Amino acid sequence: MDENIVIKLKGLTKRYGYGDTESFALKDFDLTIKRGEFIMIMGPSGCGKTTLLNIIGLLDRATDGEYILNGEDVASISAARRAKLRAKKIGFIFQNFNLIEDLPIIENVALPLVYVGQPRTVRLKNASDALHRFHLGEREYYLPSQLSGGQQQRVAIARAIVGHPEIILADEPTGNLDSRSSNIVMEELKAIHEEGNTIIMVTHNPALTAYATRVINMLDGQIDTDIKTVSDQNLPQPISVKIKKKKQNKRRKK
Amino acid sequence: MAMLFRTHLRLARTSIKENRTRSFLTCLGIAIGIASIILILSLTGSIADLISGEIKDIGANLIVVRPSTTKDSVTSIVEELTASSSFQKSNLSLSDVQAISELDNVAAVTPIAVSANTITVEDNTVPSTTILGTSPEFNSIEPLTLKAGTFITDKNKTNSVVIGHTLSLLLFNSTNTVGKTITFRDRKFIIVGILEKIDQPINFDNVDFDNALIMDAETMAELVDSIQIQQINVKVTTTNALASTAEDINNTLVKNNSGDTNFTVNYGDAITHPASTLLDIISKMLALVAGISLVVGGIGVMNIMLVSVAERNHEIGIRKAVGASSRNILMQFIFESLILSIFGGFMGIILGYVLAFLVSVITPFTPFISWEIVAITFLTSLAIGIIFGTYPALKAASKDPIESLRHYR
Repeated sequence: MDENIVIKLKGLTKRYGYGDTESFALKDFDLTIKRGEFIMIMGPSGCGKTTLLNIIGLLDRATDGEYILNGEDVASISAARRAKLRAKKIGFIFQNFNLIEDLPIIENVALPLVYVGQPRTVRLKNASDALHRFHLGEREYYLPSQLSGGQQQRVAIARAIVGHPEIILADEPTGNLDSRSSNIVMEELKAIHEEGNTIIMVTHNPALTAYATRVINMLDGQIDTDIKTVSDQNLPQPISVKIKKKKQNKRRKK
Repeated sequence: MAMLFRTHLRLARTSIKENRTRSFLTCLGIAIGIASIILILSLTGSIADLISGEIKDIGANLIVVRPSTTKDSVTSIVEELTASSSFQKSNLSLSDVQAISELDNVAAVTPIAVSANTITVEDNTVPSTTILGTSPEFNSIEPLTLKAGTFITDKNKTNSVVIGHTLSLLLFNSTNTVGKTITFRDRKFIIVGILEKIDQPINFDNVDFDNALIMDAETMAELVDSIQIQQINVKVTTTNALASTAEDINNTLVKNNSGDTNFTVNYGDAITHPASTLLDIISKMLALVAGISLVVGGIGVMNIMLVSVAERNHEIGIRKAVGASSRNILMQFIFESLILSIFGGFMGIILGYVLAFLVSVITPFTPFISWEIVAITFLTSLAIGIIFGTYPALKAASKDPIESLRHYR
């Protein structure tokens, strides 16, 4: 199996209701995502974009079909295991930021590390580093409500990457932002992508597709068009993966 | 795991701090319940302490015979509480006293019979005076300190009485009353002794000596219609003979009363059980009321936790999205309710002892503090936290993250 494949979906179906009220958010959905791709998913409202993102993010469960994440079949694993994978492998960015209002932003950023079991000092150190990267280092102990929308979304991005996840899922991250903040956020996402992160982003804004390496248009729970703008060979690779490959190659030689 | 423990603890602390007033009021609910339990346990403990101290003073050679009714049935408790006379119908008689005195190893035996009657002093009638009928031997079992005069003796027992310190003041406005006379049921009695002030209304005889008029039980039996013996005190010659003598007394009384076994023969620690069944019932009822208030406090915790869960629906969604398992969320909320109830418990323990000290200022009780009481109440508040925190925590843990995230304010 190609170890560059992060996600493999096969025959994924999400059904709501039964009988007359039966409707499909996803129908026989097939998708393979490689490491380092920056995918934009577009389509009209109700075409299943968010459902797809929730299933990939292990927040939701498909009614039917296969979902292989990093070589592990996760279609029918326990809720506890899904929570663990969410903490370790997935970073979420939401349209409405979804920061905890009562916690200072540094605690918000450190939140995913709580559930992978890192000690507090390590958590705060990593969160602080992440915030510095997004030029929020001087506001670590501000509350989310004291920041602008663009700053809040950057906090959310910091939270998404702090645990070095396999994939970053973004659900209309610029939907609530003005164009200036929106550009800043997209530039940050681009920078993250260039470091080798895999990003799947849902958007309504066709102008943003310039950032993507692959654009998928969805219609009625299925893929309508799927266009790759960058060839697989030219996708950025994370440093850790490169090192890993070198080691494996050495071992093989021996 | 230990680290998650600390994280949950810190989380709970922050959340409680944020809602300071609300958390304090919730704790107060628990604190009042715990405080009343502490107060009741401390006071009943002090009564038991008082009586066992007294027994220690008297010596270990004591056997106490008490009439017993079927105390456990509800009807008899109600009867006892509603009856005009607070004395139960005793099945002990003066002939029982006589029979016990003839047994081996018995050094002294004396009845304790109490009634409330009207007495006359210098043309003034004094109603409801406590009259203690006993025998001269009382003095050799349980020596009472006399302020003046002597105790009643075999020679003068038909026309002599000893009166308590407070009663003397009430009747004559003086404690220098040896030689004065009182009239009881048209018979004149000379006061031969005044008791020193004792100030122990709670004792194993269940007699308030300061307010009592002490006379011979046989003389009393001639004057009142029926004499109610509430207790027979027996002193044995040696401690070794306690068990065997108690056995003998039991057998003799069964024979005397033609097989009736409605009495108890106690010695040692068994005597210290609260002498008054009324007191016992009251303290049990108070404990029940305190228990109810604790349950109410627990419901308060549950209520506030449910509010907290509803308020933080969005937070729960976020936490789950970034990787919290249902179990993490469960623990987070259980910890919060545990901290509330434990903090309430601590407040209650302090409040309870402060109240006990205040009560001890105006009553003869001394507050009785033991680590058992503290441990019991601490465990109780712990249990309250778990019992009433589980449902809200389960509710929080079972939330669907997608649904919760949609709850954007």
